[in-house]
Amino acid sequence: MATTLKDLRPVYVAGIGFHRYQFLSDTPYVTLGLAAVRAALDDAGVAWPAVDSAYVAKALLPMAPGRAMLRHLGDHGLPIVHVENASASGSAAFRHACMEVAAGLADIALVVGVDKPMPVGRAESLARIGSLADDAIAPFTHFALLADAYAARTGASVEDIALVAVKNHRNGSKNPFAQHQKERTLDEILGGKKIAGGFTSLQCTPVGEGAAAVIIASEEGLRRRGVGLDRAVRVASSAGRSQHLYDDATRYDAMLTQETTQIALAQAQLAPGELDVVELHDAFTVEEVEYVEAMGLCPDGQAVPMLKEGAFDIGGRCAVSPSGGLISMGHPIGPTGVGQIGEITRQLRGEAGPRQHPGARSGLAHMVGVGAVCYVHVLQKP
Amino acid sequence: MSDPDLLKPTLYRRAGSAARPEPPALLGGACACGHVFFPLQSYGCERCGGTDLQPRALTGAGRLLASARVHLHAGKGREAPFTVGSIRLEDGPIIRTLIEGGETRLHPGAAMVAVLAPVTDPQGSARLDLRFMAEA
Repeated sequence: MATTLKDLRPVYVAGIGFHRYQFLSDTPYVTLGLAAVRAALDDAGVAWPAVDSAYVAKALLPMAPGRAMLRHLGDHGLPIVHVENASASGSAAFRHACMEVAAGLADIALVVGVDKPMPVGRAESLARIGSLADDAIAPFTHFALLADAYAARTGASVEDIALVAVKNHRNGSKNPFAQHQKERTLDEILGGKKIAGGFTSLQCTPVGEGAAAVIIASEEGLRRRGVGLDRAVRVASSAGRSQHLYDDATRYDAMLTQETTQIALAQAQLAPGELDVVELHDAFTVEEVEYVEAMGLCPDGQAVPMLKEGAFDIGGRCAVSPSGGLISMGHPIGPTGVGQIGEITRQLRGEAGPRQHPGARSGLAHMVGVGAVCYVHVLQKP
Repeated sequence: MSDPDLLKPTLYRRAGSAARPEPPALLGGACACGHVFFPLQSYGCERCGGTDLQPRALTGAGRLLASARVHLHAGKGREAPFTVGSIRLEDGPIIRTLIEGGETRLHPGAAMVAVLAPVTDPQGSARLDLRFMAEA
């Protein structure tokens, strides 16, 4: 049996920082990234020279944006690695930074995700395997098909599934770093621009620009620099998987989510019902109902009734996407997975202000990325 | 020799399969391990990794798993609205395809059959492309 993160020395999130997720602007990516990194360093109480290793997550920016940004923090020479893993780029960067610190190869590491919308191709299209209609099936259409299948399987209506967007826009309205910061009624959401199937624009993530950063550290790394563990949050487990060949090939994201979450929860020795906050890949409303079931937060087919009861609200049984999630906070791609870690850290510290989930002690961050790949991290208050 | 009238002759043909000669067949493959897939490829089997992959004509019929009317489409050469669907073929693989006659609501579980529909290729020539429609 291979060693897991839990078997190595403890790793903590010691600092978090953001640049607001926003629609594409003239702001250079360097400005976005530096804002997040400086905020994370300040939050951790750690100076730049104390950082041993840097991970830069991006999926859309061109090759090697890292040092061109980080050099403005002062002369350093630390190792910098860039991580591209589609939507899960930030989550993958976080996992590998945690492994480096846990293994003792670094005491303090920076993970920063930064991106700006730019046209990029998908390598799979270069495999020269034809398709009947891939050009007609954008991501929102793929998920609209899953929503139709979910509705047929569970009896949920278009209105039921859209309730995810009502909750997540409400959460995002309380998040100063969210791209959408406006509460929306169900009628507003359903009356918006039609996209595909039952989806309207407010049920789909906006892909914009932004940055998120976290500082992770070992206990000795922090103590040596005079920083205590008072506000640190433990990384209890890390799991990364890619998809299998499933009987229902269209539901790969949910199947992969189930497997990866089970591994992460087992490592952390937690049951799904013990999670207080969850940030998941809700790029489209149907994903949230599919994934809360796949994760075991509720029985199969029960996501909508529980959503209606308020079980996934802030203050409910388990706050799902308290940041606003991808639907409201946004999905700038490279930063997204790092931003989830930032939000859960804020929640477990009890510093989330108007969107604080009371008594949060355990949180889970989940991202899927095309390919498909999946990452799940569990964080706990020490 | 591929059929010059077909838009994507590597993916389907006019002739049907042994099981159902009527609807156009889809050009899939089968591995020595038993895995049946669409479309045909020669890189390696997604189940066992083997490279003994043989062409297999798949019956152009199956059951609808889901459909969605697409109202917004950025790509050139295709005007929204149109309908796409997920269909489990009688031979096993699940495909995603355009649906003919998708203006009316389709219900998961409906029997679907392949048809060749007239289209215009990017060069402006008349071609036939594969669609699925509800079986009469």
